[in-house]
Amino acid sequence: MSPASLRQSMPPPYRPATRPDPSLQQKVLIRDIDFYYGNFKALKNITMPLHDKRVTAFIGPSGCGKSTLIRVLNRIYELYPGHRATGEVIIDGENTLAPGVDLNLLRAKIGMVFQKPTPFPMSIYDNIAFGIRLYHRLPRAELDDWVESALRRAALWDEVKDKLRQSGLGLSGGQQQRLCIARAVAVQPQILLLDEPASALDPLSTQRIEELIAELKADYCIAIVTHNMQQAARSSDYTAFMYLGELVEFDETELIFTHPKQKHTEDYITGRFG
Amino acid sequence: MASEHMARAYDDELQKLNNTVAEMGGLAESQLGTAIEAVVTRDVDLAARVVEGDPKVDQLERDLDNLAIRLLALRQPVARDLREVFAALKIGSDLERIGDYAANVAKRSIALSQAPPVRPVYALPRMAHFAQLLIKDVLDAYVQHDSDKAYSVWMRDAELDEMYSSLFRELLTYMMEDPRSIGPCTHLLFMAKNIERIGDHATNIAEDLYYLVNGTPLDQLRPKGDVSSLEVVTTGARE
Repeated sequence: MSPASLRQSMPPPYRPATRPDPSLQQKVLIRDIDFYYGNFKALKNITMPLHDKRVTAFIGPSGCGKSTLIRVLNRIYELYPGHRATGEVIIDGENTLAPGVDLNLLRAKIGMVFQKPTPFPMSIYDNIAFGIRLYHRLPRAELDDWVESALRRAALWDEVKDKLRQSGLGLSGGQQQRLCIARAVAVQPQILLLDEPASALDPLSTQRIEELIAELKADYCIAIVTHNMQQAARSSDYTAFMYLGELVEFDETELIFTHPKQKHTEDYITGRFG
Repeated sequence: MASEHMARAYDDELQKLNNTVAEMGGLAESQLGTAIEAVVTRDVDLAARVVEGDPKVDQLERDLDNLAIRLLALRQPVARDLREVFAALKIGSDLERIGDYAANVAKRSIALSQAPPVRPVYALPRMAHFAQLLIKDVLDAYVQHDSDKAYSVWMRDAELDEMYSSLFRELLTYMMEDPRSIGPCTHLLFMAKNIERIGDHATNIAEDLYYLVNGTPLDQLRPKGDVSSLEVVTTGARE
């Protein structure tokens, strides 16, 4: 018997034992998404899920569409003229791209943190309270609790509890970024979008953010865009590799980084991308 | 071989890793060949050369470990590159064992040459040449990253096992017939076992290579031909 024919009778391919429960809840379904900047088609027919209580990393070279894709999820692209998405983003059974969706409620449900920390020019306390006040009318004592809880969730409370009235702009870069995460989680979202959240931070602050992501995923569906492949490998459960507006491969992170199925993915993650 | 890395030095380092494995393999294979020649020709000096040559294999293994550690620390390889480093580390320790077994065959040949020749000694080279062929083929497969070839080595080890089983029985018969042959035959038995173990290490290498190329382990059951461990020895004495 030839080796090739012997191999055909082999057992099915190995799957890691740590494979997550197949009944894992799908929080978001991105379906047939096309995206246009004017006439330029930046996303081509993207279909993929985002699982609840899991981290999905988006990797790919600059301009591949990964940030564009997560901006479709909270419809933030609509702030700019000429930006247009078609297809569906189904969150909890509802197509959030449909007309008539309340954008404020959608964005309360989907928190977002950007590459550069963007604290508001106000006190640390007000940075957090600002969003809460938009959605809730709370007595002062309760508002204090919400602010403290958000700062604790973002692992920032111990560092700022004695200077809540000081400006958020006085914090270090890493602290500012955690302040932005605290601001995002303060309004109790269900989904967190992190667009290069640690790329402007030093390694220690980066580790702290990654640790925070690991803690936050117990409660949220998290999507993270990153150029740092080690970060994707360390902090995500699923990884999507995008190239030229297409989703080349989407799989468990462990498989993407040990045995990707697409040569294109392998070339990119191993640094063979010409 | 996959296309080149953007960092050319990375390719050079991986290539060096491959070359070190190949060099180590070539050395281990020739150690075994020389050890067997020493057995057949009863050449004590030749045997001593093999024993003295073993530290060179060990040194190559240390070099390989250092290269791999350096690659892991500085390049953080993933996917195929990671499997490449992982396989080189594992193959390195298999080759080191093969070198040890070859040195042990050489050591025993020195003791064996002090005793009068026994006939089963002539079956040993056939077994050793087969083991050498397995090493050579699996190393070729490694250099070419050919998993089909690795698979065929993996399958062929059963034949070496059978040779060992039959030599085992032959040696037992000799020892029972002539107790004076017990000393040399015991040495031969250990030599044969060493060579049989070398075959097992060749199959380990084949498995590592299969994983390196395909990204999935070769996890089916391998045919075994060695039944000597089930053998019951009776001297024919009656109650």
